[in-house]
Amino acid sequence: MKKHPMLKYLKEEGPMGDRLPMILCPGCGSGQVLNAAFHAIDKIIEEDGIAKENFVFITGVGCSARLTSHYLNFDSGWTIHGRTLPIATGALLANPELRIIVITGDGDTGAIGGNHFIHACRRNIDLTILCINNGLYGMTGGQVAPTTGIGLKTSTTPYGNTEESFDLSKMAETAGATYVARWTTAHPRQTVRAIMKGVRKKGTAFIEIMSQCPVHWKETPVDMLKALKKNSVRLKGDEAVPNGKIPIGEFCNIEKPEWIESYQKVIDQFN
Amino acid sequence: MPNNRHIQPGVHYLQGSQACVEGAIIAGCRVYGGYPITPASEVMEHAALRIPQIGGRFIQMEDEIASACILLGASWGGAKAMTATSSPGFSLMQETISYGIMSETPLVIVDVQRPGPGQGYITTSQEDVMQARWGHHGEGSIIALAPASVQEMFEFTIEAFNLSEKWRTPVLLMAEETVAHMRERLIVPPLEEIRIVNRKKPQDLGIAPENYLPWGHDMVAPMANWGEGYNVNLIGLVHLEDGNVTKYDLQMHDACVKRFYHKIEDNVDTISQIETAHFEKCKHLVVCYGSVSRTAIEAVTEARKEHNLEIGYLRLKTLWPFPEKKLRSLIKKVDTIFVPEMNLGMMKHPITEALRDRCRKIISIPSLGSLHTPEYILSVIHEELK
Repeated sequence: MKKHPMLKYLKEEGPMGDRLPMILCPGCGSGQVLNAAFHAIDKIIEEDGIAKENFVFITGVGCSARLTSHYLNFDSGWTIHGRTLPIATGALLANPELRIIVITGDGDTGAIGGNHFIHACRRNIDLTILCINNGLYGMTGGQVAPTTGIGLKTSTTPYGNTEESFDLSKMAETAGATYVARWTTAHPRQTVRAIMKGVRKKGTAFIEIMSQCPVHWKETPVDMLKALKKNSVRLKGDEAVPNGKIPIGEFCNIEKPEWIESYQKVIDQFN
Repeated sequence: MPNNRHIQPGVHYLQGSQACVEGAIIAGCRVYGGYPITPASEVMEHAALRIPQIGGRFIQMEDEIASACILLGASWGGAKAMTATSSPGFSLMQETISYGIMSETPLVIVDVQRPGPGQGYITTSQEDVMQARWGHHGEGSIIALAPASVQEMFEFTIEAFNLSEKWRTPVLLMAEETVAHMRERLIVPPLEEIRIVNRKKPQDLGIAPENYLPWGHDMVAPMANWGEGYNVNLIGLVHLEDGNVTKYDLQMHDACVKRFYHKIEDNVDTISQIETAHFEKCKHLVVCYGSVSRTAIEAVTEARKEHNLEIGYLRLKTLWPFPEKKLRSLIKKVDTIFVPEMNLGMMKHPITEALRDRCRKIISIPSLGSLHTPEYILSVIHEELK
């Protein structure tokens, strides 16, 4: 049987035995995001001549975090809930040659790691953040997240969610990220292109990928993907978001001083 | 490597906080992440000034959690890294310390202790000595040093880095406001006489990436940094030696945690250092640590000279791992042990556990928010032994 071309980036086994299969549920969108990330990095390795060993994947805790776990054939860190961005920042401070891909979820980014999220964007340090947004906490059993729509029932909002939600892409842009885009798991090619742009961006790139959690939203993966496609809309200019629609596309692609480069000027005074 | 941007050998007059940063630089610290807090801010400010001068990177983070996480990332990125905080900030760093223990990550955290609980106050304290050992969630040991002078803020910081690299584990420098704000003489030896330890590398041991076990090979595993082609999957879950987590069973769990627990606890005699004075055949004993030892030795000297008391002095230079066996081998029989501490009697507990059958009585000499005077220590000794 022909192997999946991206399987080269996974460890099927290690010194102590099998490392696959992944633990993700059937129909989960996270694997699609990892696939898109691999395709993007594969092209960048080929086209830009960046060594594979310079790529590091960093995740926190939650379903999104399980994309690094122990099966990535890259350097990776499956780290602390919400703390991906300071850990990634520390790694860059030690070695700016590293190309860091942070894979995170809406809870990891928007709730427990919210403070780190806005400050990483403000610093504009050279990171690519892939945020898989499924609108709830998957790993812990489908609890409400800061991205859950109002009125929706989850395991901790049995009477419906009474809180407003965050628009994570808007937050990233407002906080100072230099590349911001939102796609869905129903837009794989656009997601690959956005990740490539994000990795090539000298600065903080935030790519939000709206994803399905068939288990906790209790819908079939196919229906959820169809809904993601149907409900997402590309807006022109200042056009208002139609009710119930998710704006997708590239929201921000600007140039600003990047932290490592700015700090290098401080260091260079002493050489 | 030493160059003209390191502190120069010779006599200096420095603050403890500054000496700490100068020691860190000599130890090879090239990343500092921090968040301001009184009375630890002087460490951070000196790092902000000095770290870029030697080609390192300094960053002020959004909180103490992020600051500790900088060390975690930097260490796997290949740098020696440090932060300094004070007690409330130290509480916020505990989760990262726990992750550092599990992932066996070398990093150095300085806690310039202030009194608590809550915001407490901004004066001096030794109220975090138990948090140092037990503050992090889960099992696992810790190394914690207690400096008592500006000289030791310099030397113990270097030692903290050496221990963290040697044992691949977080190391805590449990300073106090007293010793961090103190200004006194620092003697910097010739740099070639200072011992620097660097982490063991799989490359140096001829271990190929496909055979590399990030948590195996030896009691202290060699450490490949990110970016070196070893495809390390850093992990905080209990794991097999190669980082595999699919094979969970109780035996794997047990082996994983006990290995990094025992690498510290079974080597307590190598790691933990003590200092004694007037110790031979003493009838009574003062056991102390940190800056309290400075007034304790005054009290002991005075008690011996002026009052003919056969009282000795023992200082714990390392708080954790606790040198129980060493203490028991040194102390066979004494009458009363006095433990002056800037808390309500914290290290008194492991001391009691170690020596309860080797003495008649153990007396705590507590102080909250200020350093004991020799007179205070002496008055408790007199009251007890009159």
